[in-house]
Amino acid sequence: MSALRKSVTLIGGIALLAATGIDAIAVIGRNLGLPLRGSIELVQVAVLVAGSLALLVATVDNSHAKVHLLVDRMSDAARAMLDRISALLGALFFAALLIGSLWLMADLWTGHEQSEIVGVSWRAMRLFANIVFAAIVVALLGQAIRGKRP
Amino acid sequence: MMLATPETGLIGVLILFALLLAGLPIGVALGLVGMSGLVLVLGLEPALIKGGVVLVDTLTRYELGTLPLFMFMAHLFFSSNASRDLFDAAAKMVGHRRGGLAYASVGGCAGFGAINGSSLATAATIGLVALPEMRKRGYSDALATGTVAAGGTLGQMIPPSGALIVFGIIAEQSIGKLFTAAIVPGITQALLYCLVIWIVVRLRPNAAPASERATWAERRAALGKIADMVLLIALVIGGIALGWFSPSEAASIGAAGALAIAAWRKRLNRDMLMKAFEETLRTSGLILMVIIGALVFSVFISVTGVTDAVGAWVTGLALGTVPTLLLVALILLLLGSVLDGLALMLLTTPILLPVVESVGMSAIWFGIFLCRAMEIGFVHPPLGMNLYVIQGVAKDVSINRIFKGVMPFLASDLFHLLIIILFPALALGLPELLGN
Repeated sequence: MSALRKSVTLIGGIALLAATGIDAIAVIGRNLGLPLRGSIELVQVAVLVAGSLALLVATVDNSHAKVHLLVDRMSDAARAMLDRISALLGALFFAALLIGSLWLMADLWTGHEQSEIVGVSWRAMRLFANIVFAAIVVALLGQAIRGKRP
Repeated sequence: MMLATPETGLIGVLILFALLLAGLPIGVALGLVGMSGLVLVLGLEPALIKGGVVLVDTLTRYELGTLPLFMFMAHLFFSSNASRDLFDAAAKMVGHRRGGLAYASVGGCAGFGAINGSSLATAATIGLVALPEMRKRGYSDALATGTVAAGGTLGQMIPPSGALIVFGIIAEQSIGKLFTAAIVPGITQALLYCLVIWIVVRLRPNAAPASERATWAERRAALGKIADMVLLIALVIGGIALGWFSPSEAASIGAAGALAIAAWRKRLNRDMLMKAFEETLRTSGLILMVIIGALVFSVFISVTGVTDAVGAWVTGLALGTVPTLLLVALILLLLGSVLDGLALMLLTTPILLPVVESVGMSAIWFGIFLCRAMEIGFVHPPLGMNLYVIQGVAKDVSINRIFKGVMPFLASDLFHLLIIILFPALALGLPELLGN
């Protein structure tokens, strides 16, 4: 596993642990009469980080779900070609989503959106997510050009 | 908006169907058709912005945490050898009876289904421990493989279920209510499988010979090994059903508990944690991609009005509730023979949910019904993914023999689906009783 890949997994994993810890503490605190204010906002941040990195990991590993009924009956060459086309179309779809997300970020950049209770900067979160989406587009374009790794 | 017609929506559905069969990733196919359709119907700028909104809104949804955290819990349990412990405990309790290991496999699948939400994972993991044991004790290949292939589908019904989480997000329904509604259908499904085994063993006693009885000391030891897991699962599912916490909070409690159990069993280390992170991120990414694509596709479908048109067409047929639901079941089963479970759910939910609601059934009921129809797709050809998973475990058993073994269970699945149609209270009774 490359250092970059390890870092992505580790950051995503830490986000999972954070979501686990925050919500678990919030539940225990609520039952003890010590509610953890802003826990939902913090979990949202952890979910955004883990979720966007999860999309990246699944893309890099070629593990997106497919219907195999016809594909499994194709020749290796046809399947390799189909993989490249799939990657290209995937890049196109993610590029469209990225453009939309960048558009929204640009519109809201000067608004300094913050969450209500703990003041999470949504601007920073949008920026993080968009960087990951851009990495997904690059990964898919790479797969379309080089072909997927076995 | 000239293109915002049901015909456009229908063409979109047909193109999507073709792209799915051509092997495009499900999320990409859904998203591309949805996005292209929105560009045609709304124009480029609104379509792109809508796509951006769906992407960020989905990834910042608090309820979305349910999915990766339940998966995290499952992967932590995988590393703690949960599947072997669950099967061993069930085998020690009933393994001495004729067909006992087959009952134990169903029990193991049900137990393992309660810690992971995947049909394939349940069939594969329980298959790895149960199949060699059953074959060693002289069980027929057909019964052994058929039991685990069918039992694996319990993973998708018994909460926490990945399919129900995805359905809850797509259909904007309470995941807690869906989980509660799945409890009785999950239990009755398992009981029907046990009935099938009982009948098969009665008709063909040689298919499943009795084996030696475990002592009570062995049974206590086996039960002791799973007590912590069973308590955690009971807390997670019971907590949701009784309204003690939300599904997202339950997922956190489950993951925190699984971490504690792994540490208690001295299996928690850096490598194990990294593996659990890796697997959780990969599986969550796969499902998130599909959810995002499906949400974009749903926006397109609703803008074209195709759901209203289909609803009006079905209402115009004036078939009545049960025949309409039987027709919907037939459509799902036919599509399920060429599409895999997730694709089936995401393609049909935006179109069939309004139809089902128009005959007076709730979205919660439809979620259970759809999940059950998806499960049937896992065990019937030509797709029948569980059959291939089991063949991967028992390589010397032909796919035809596995299919022969699963046939009686498939019959019980169809009967169970019919019961869910005729008696909706099977799914809706418990949530109503518990008032959640």
